[in-house]
Amino acid sequence: MKVFIIASLILCLPLLGMAQKSRKAFAYDYTIDDLPNGLRLITVPTDYPNLVAVYIVVQTGSRNEIEKGKSGYAHLFEHLMFRGSEHYSGAERDAILKKAGADSNAYTTDDRTVYHEVFSKDDLDKVIELEADRFQRLKYPQDGYKTETKAVLGEFNKNSADPEEKAYEVLRATAYKSHTYSHTTMGFIADIEDMPNQYNYSWQFYGRYYRPEYTTIVLVGDLKQPDALAMVKKYFGDWKRGNYAPDIPSEPDQKEPRESHVEWPSETLPLVYVAFRGPAYSDEKKEKAALDLLAPIAFGENSDLYQKLVLTEQKLDSLSYIFEDRADPELFLVAAKLKDVKDTDYVRQQILDTYRRYTTELVPKDKLDSTRSRLRYQFALAMDSSEAIAGSLANYIGLRRTPETIDKIFSLYDTITPQNIRETAAKYFVDNHRTVITLSSKKEVAK
Amino acid sequence: MKRRKVLFAIVAVTVLGILSGQLPMKAVTSRRTPNMKSADTNTVLLPNRSPLVSFRILFMTGSAYDPKNQEGLASLTAAMLAEGGSRTKTYAEITDAMYPMATSFQWQADKEMTVFSGSTHLDNLDKYYALIREMLVDPGFREDDFKRLKEDAINYLKTSLRGGNDEELGKEVLYTMIYPSTHVYGHENRGAVGALEKMTLKDVRDFYQNNFTQANLVVGLAGGYPEKFPAQVKLDFAKLPMGSTAGIKLAIPTQTPGTRIQIVERETRSTGISLGFPIKVTRAGKDWPALAVVASYFGQHRSSNSYLYQRLREARGLNYGDYAYIEYFPRGMFQFQPDPNLGRQQQIFQIWIRPVEPQNGHFVLRAALYEYDKLVRDGMSKEAFESTREFLSKYVNVLTATQDAQLGYALDSRYYQIADFPTYMREQLAKLTLDDVNRAIRQYLKSDAMHVAIVTKDALGLREAIISNKTSPGAYAPKPKELTDEDKIIEAYKINVKPTDVIVVPVEKVFQ
Repeated sequence: MKVFIIASLILCLPLLGMAQKSRKAFAYDYTIDDLPNGLRLITVPTDYPNLVAVYIVVQTGSRNEIEKGKSGYAHLFEHLMFRGSEHYSGAERDAILKKAGADSNAYTTDDRTVYHEVFSKDDLDKVIELEADRFQRLKYPQDGYKTETKAVLGEFNKNSADPEEKAYEVLRATAYKSHTYSHTTMGFIADIEDMPNQYNYSWQFYGRYYRPEYTTIVLVGDLKQPDALAMVKKYFGDWKRGNYAPDIPSEPDQKEPRESHVEWPSETLPLVYVAFRGPAYSDEKKEKAALDLLAPIAFGENSDLYQKLVLTEQKLDSLSYIFEDRADPELFLVAAKLKDVKDTDYVRQQILDTYRRYTTELVPKDKLDSTRSRLRYQFALAMDSSEAIAGSLANYIGLRRTPETIDKIFSLYDTITPQNIRETAAKYFVDNHRTVITLSSKKEVAK
Repeated sequence: MKRRKVLFAIVAVTVLGILSGQLPMKAVTSRRTPNMKSADTNTVLLPNRSPLVSFRILFMTGSAYDPKNQEGLASLTAAMLAEGGSRTKTYAEITDAMYPMATSFQWQADKEMTVFSGSTHLDNLDKYYALIREMLVDPGFREDDFKRLKEDAINYLKTSLRGGNDEELGKEVLYTMIYPSTHVYGHENRGAVGALEKMTLKDVRDFYQNNFTQANLVVGLAGGYPEKFPAQVKLDFAKLPMGSTAGIKLAIPTQTPGTRIQIVERETRSTGISLGFPIKVTRAGKDWPALAVVASYFGQHRSSNSYLYQRLREARGLNYGDYAYIEYFPRGMFQFQPDPNLGRQQQIFQIWIRPVEPQNGHFVLRAALYEYDKLVRDGMSKEAFESTREFLSKYVNVLTATQDAQLGYALDSRYYQIADFPTYMREQLAKLTLDDVNRAIRQYLKSDAMHVAIVTKDALGLREAIISNKTSPGAYAPKPKELTDEDKIIEAYKINVKPTDVIVVPVEKVFQ
């Protein structure tokens, strides 16, 4: 038996040494089962023993918060879902998960809310039953609701000590005027403070989005697909499909460069954030893939800019980029943490010049190839436990509800040419689509 | 894609970042004998058939070995090895070489352990190993790397810790309260700003020569590496100076009765609180599993399944979470599971209260002390004991789900001289009784010398409130009826502290 396990494990893992074209980036066998109510189950049996990881992905995030004054509710539900349901109080739920030796948590992003547990395989049936109850029959009294909104405020408060959180919050509010990406996942502070008064609205939100057609269950680990499907049918089969589709406002064309400054009340290293409007996630159109490949070449730790500003001139404490896979057009952000506020203009200009450079210059072919290699190995190196596999999948399930998109995006990377990258950079990195945020401590501004 | 640490993205990234692992393995551990020859490097080997190979190269040195007035030297030396160039390659050349392999080389320097870790796909083992071998055995020690990494260390203390993370700040301040500056644990691992500013490259070279030695080395390998690979590694690391194994032996710091409170004053929206005192038990001690049960029951890290969390967050909505520890657990705000290789001869019992609204700071401090006193007085119930024991027996699978974690725990088990961690935990927990646990609570967790570190804006106002012992009702709503009586007790709960033992420190003075 053991021999079989080892052999199959090796077959499962990405064989990166093989010919480049035919390989699959997501090399595990998986099954997709669609229930009549719209719920989707993705099962990935692995040979990691004893444990099962359950990731339940709801395609609802802060992007879905379309009403004025109602930001932060996707994240609030990430909390409320732990307060109990019709057949299990919060305490009973905790007791069951404790017995299962479970690690249980949840997170929210712009586009999705993900509930996840990893636990002993013998407890799978019970955990599915628990999950089904809260997804279909959540129950929280008004007082419990109010108490939870306070915990959310506590979370905002703990985050607020970090100047990078603040700079990111201001960036979003400056770059987006209509689209819901204008607020972070936490939401605007005024909306968070108003949450205790919005008990009825919270039920409206649950009724809209906690529906099978928004939800995908991902099961990874020491399990068999037929058993998993039977459990999911048994406990989720009666879940009623909803009929709500949000009208997410599109962002109008940006007609001018934008800039904001944040004064930080205490000592901090200054920040310079330079962002351009980028494309949404796509596994078919080349633009997102082209900029994914450009990002580490232009701004990663091996880039000329990083070598110059961080290693040689040592003007920066850190230089990083963020360009998430998002359902709607997302910012391509370069974030610099400076050592001295007097270098602000210089660093800002260096970052802008680098953006501009790749609108006219071709990236070297060998650099592009090593970046493709890097992305593949990065993905493969992260897939080394059932939970890691489920966690990696969640991002893509939130976007396309199938692991197939992973192979498609990695195949797309293989087709990108230096010319594609230059054309895409020239299209997106234009002055009128730029937003710059600077942050420095009050004292330093006063100097 | 590289992702910025922001809001919830961090959860996913942290989860992915810390998970890397494989089938369960039996560790093959070598132990140095007194007559060892130069190539008899200590090793912990976890061979399997995975196409990934994990390295954890451990040196038994750390900030406890920082010379006087050179606080931060161990940490800076580790950074120079992992984030600086080797003799033949600049740091830029090393990151260039690692780029297509998507590999990196991490370092972590604690009091008595400094570990370098990284994983590679088997395709790239030779190339990756050649890089890290040279980084550790034949470092470059260039001035420009030194200047950059010294500034990083200073900026970490001055701005990241003092100005950007109240929670870690409070936790680290608590350690410096418990261990006075005369104790080798008595400074932050990254050092002190003043000492770092004076540090030279020669100091780093000397520290490396004296501490990064064969005697202090344990090589940890896991994954599908070739059979002869460990022998090659041993041979390569035999180039390090021999050194000697004379480790420090530590005495527990003496505790004088009474509460001591340090309030760090900084411009912030909220009030964070950490409390604790030293304990006489480490993972090597026979009562450690009993205390592990207590800490999990009272405050399992980042879990709603714990007593303190239920009382403060779930019932009252006072903050984001409340936890308890019997081992050092840095970066807890960013990760769900602890990093291995933070082995210490001495640990503390710690309660971590995540930031609360300032008007509730005094009330929550009292609530934490009230619940702690209750734990010590009443112990655990049979039901709580049994459910927590069952949880930990299974949760150990989660802690060691990955190859890298298994390797880390195996190195720690070697240090503490216990069996492999999952087996050890399951066997010890199976034998444990409720009496053992309640005896351990009385024996180790009863202290009349509590240290409290608080980070808040109105430090003088809070100090005044604490020393006057005036009533401090919890300002939260809704207030469940069943909590009214308990809140009456808590709001007037006496904190046994002398005015001279409540000190206010401006944040600029911390870790200076």
